[in-house]
Amino acid sequence: MKWHRIKAMFLRHLYPLKRDFDLMSDMAYWPLVDTILWGVTGQWLSDTSGVASIVATILIGMILWNIIWRAQSEVGRNLMDEVWNQNLVNLFSTPLTTVEWLVSVVGLSLIKTVITLSIITPVMYFLYDVNVLTLGLWIPVFFGLCVMSGWWIGLIAAGIVLRGGPRAQTIIWTLPGAILPFSAIYFSVDKLPQAMQTISWLLPTTYVMESMRSWLLSGTLSTQFLWISLLINILYLVLAGWFFVRSLAYSKKIGLDRFT
Amino acid sequence: MSLVKGIKMKTGMSIVLSVRQLKKTYPPKKRGGRPFTAVNNVSFDLKQGEILGLLGPNGAGKSTTIQMLMSTLTPTAGEITYFGQSLEKNRSQIMEHVTFASTYVKMPWRLTVIENLQIYSLLYGLTSSLFFARAEKFLKFFGVWNQRSKAMSQLSAGQITRIMLAKAFIPHPKIVLLDEPTASLDPDIAHLVRKFVKQQQSKYGVSILYTSHNMNEVAEVCDRVIFLQKGKIVAHDTPENLAKSVSSARLRLWVSDGLKRTAQHIKDQGWPVQIENRQVVIELDEVEIAGFLAVLASDGIEYTQISIDKPTLEDYFLNLSSDHQQRRGK
Repeated sequence: MKWHRIKAMFLRHLYPLKRDFDLMSDMAYWPLVDTILWGVTGQWLSDTSGVASIVATILIGMILWNIIWRAQSEVGRNLMDEVWNQNLVNLFSTPLTTVEWLVSVVGLSLIKTVITLSIITPVMYFLYDVNVLTLGLWIPVFFGLCVMSGWWIGLIAAGIVLRGGPRAQTIIWTLPGAILPFSAIYFSVDKLPQAMQTISWLLPTTYVMESMRSWLLSGTLSTQFLWISLLINILYLVLAGWFFVRSLAYSKKIGLDRFT
Repeated sequence: MSLVKGIKMKTGMSIVLSVRQLKKTYPPKKRGGRPFTAVNNVSFDLKQGEILGLLGPNGAGKSTTIQMLMSTLTPTAGEITYFGQSLEKNRSQIMEHVTFASTYVKMPWRLTVIENLQIYSLLYGLTSSLFFARAEKFLKFFGVWNQRSKAMSQLSAGQITRIMLAKAFIPHPKIVLLDEPTASLDPDIAHLVRKFVKQQQSKYGVSILYTSHNMNEVAEVCDRVIFLQKGKIVAHDTPENLAKSVSSARLRLWVSDGLKRTAQHIKDQGWPVQIENRQVVIELDEVEIAGFLAVLASDGIEYTQISIDKPTLEDYFLNLSSDHQQRRGK
């Protein structure tokens, strides 16, 4: 693995940030809209139900989902950006390896996710008096588990695009949407229908959200849930990485020039 | 002995690229369809400092071969070795010395010219100072230095092609794969590109695989030529020898007296002919020209001008295509 090639891929995706509003809006604008929208909704629910913790539960659920979304979208979007720019053949005809490409993509997702968090965290505090920092040392744990979930979702979506070609690109936006209702982000998992609960407990995201809620509502944190989430995340990441590498090999059998 | 730093090469070898029994068969597009073989048992070598032309009509397998040489397409069978090392096993290490440019592949359109080139140079491990020095040199040579701060989306097709060429040569490669590098260029710029390619070969010993539809260009630039047709090599020689193998020449006469009799003589021989005003253009074997002119002289036919066009690489190509079509017709 050569660091200068990873640096090259970093520059490839950081340079456009200087002048493209659509890329900035993904990182800042939409998370801010989400924060305002869900904050107001939470406040209204809190006022009508009399349960004060609803605002924090919803907003921290939203922030965790934003981490998952950003991480997965960076993996998928970076691949699609090469497809839209007819750049895949250029890129994979250089010494760049698959591992270097993956390392750069997950590195970029970390940077962009941290930028998003640094924008919405103070907004949540000043508008709704919800302080994420009270999670203290657990912040990197929640962050890490959510980012891992985002990566395996992104790798599966990118792998499907590599197999199906450009017409399969919608999977990058629809796959996380399919996982969203099962992850019990804004509500407790036992509120889901029984059949959905079975699927829900197979997802590492569910354990993270349940942990977060138990900490917010009762002040106790389920470390067991966090360990389960970590193990499932590792398993899914390995499987998703294998699927992505196999998909790239399959795509090379048909030819990467079909993306030009 | 090591020809290229980091890559061990067998002693005494001057072959930098070796292709053996290369084959690519695509699976059927529809259920029940037939697999399609785009490249079939192709073998050739590229020597150090050589420019090898890869020619053929559309669908001959040129681009498929280039894609396999870059490993952006996996071969069905066969072996590709660069500097004596297998591409399959040492792809990343090998590609540090092999670059590519094509008229048909783009670069990120939101990035500026210099940003794009910088990123590609970094992928090949060029230092920042070396990159800027080489980028300035090549962009100035191609007349696009003033465009360096523009986004790729603002450039014309010809300008993009020149920047793609700069991209391929800035990392100081040992081998360059050029897929129709002059396809969208004006004649003067295309001439500049040919001059540049020859310079890179003579000054730095760069080996180049060159595909083109322009026969004159290939004859001018390439040391050897491979003709592909339906995925197979049908000819392999120097451009001069291939042109020589075409026996038919083009005889042009401006007949001042005896045009009807001239036409009759040609008709008797069954040669293809075009007659316009008093100009007669005949296609015949070179060895038949002297005899034909003697017949005209003995018949008292007078002509004011005469010219003989020798066979070119294009004639060879057309000959090959017509042979192929006749065989298909049968």
